[in-house]
Amino acid sequence: MENTINKNDKQCYFCVNNIKEIDYKDGHTLRRYVGSYMKIFSKKKTGTCAKHQRKLATAIKRARIMALMPFVNQPK
Amino acid sequence: MAKNKSAATPHYELLYIIANKFSENELEPIVEKVAKLIEEGQGTTTHTEDWGKKKLAYPINGYTHGYYRLVEFDMEAANLARVERNLRMMPEVVRHMIVKKDLSRVTPIPRPAAAPKPELPVKAEKEVKEEKQKEKTNLKDLDEKLDKILETNDLL
Repeated sequence: MENTINKNDKQCYFCVNNIKEIDYKDGHTLRRYVGSYMKIFSKKKTGTCAKHQRKLATAIKRARIMALMPFVNQPK
Repeated sequence: MAKNKSAATPHYELLYIIANKFSENELEPIVEKVAKLIEEGQGTTTHTEDWGKKKLAYPINGYTHGYYRLVEFDMEAANLARVERNLRMMPEVVRHMIVKKDLSRVTPIPRPAAAPKPELPVKAEKEVKEEKQKEKTNLKDLDEKLDKILETNDLL
């Protein structure tokens, strides 16, 4: 479970890695910020800063439009 | 701010999905058609990428798979609306997205898949070694067994 975010490690992933713009095509990192129902996690849960949370939300929404990510998911 | 924006032609990134009803041989005319649209808008393509056939996260217009293509280009903002309109009117392109890209702010994506890759061959080698050792022991056992059988045969 490397992709899950540690609860104690509440630092903004994008600030730490100096990522200014979040790419909507990078499904691998975006997948870490949605739950099993593909709902976007709150910044409270992920520790993302407000600035990046806004960019993250638009990136996920763009990925959904381009069918890189589902809008909803039924976990089996 | 406004001066900076008007100084250089903006950079855009277009990702589009071609319907799965076409075979891979039939894609080129469609790709050329899209390239022509950008040409008509006096844009210059700087980069193209072929993602190949991918499974869509959900079916679009009944298609479960699509061919993803990525084009990066510079174009005047005034001409972009026409390109977008024409793309929407293309029945071959199931879906498209044009996003403005600020090249100075883009950082290359750190691929997490790259990190575990070097570990994999090491593990594989270990497994192979173990298998080889098992084979060796098996061979020794077999030899012993064969010898025993041969001895018994001699007795008979």
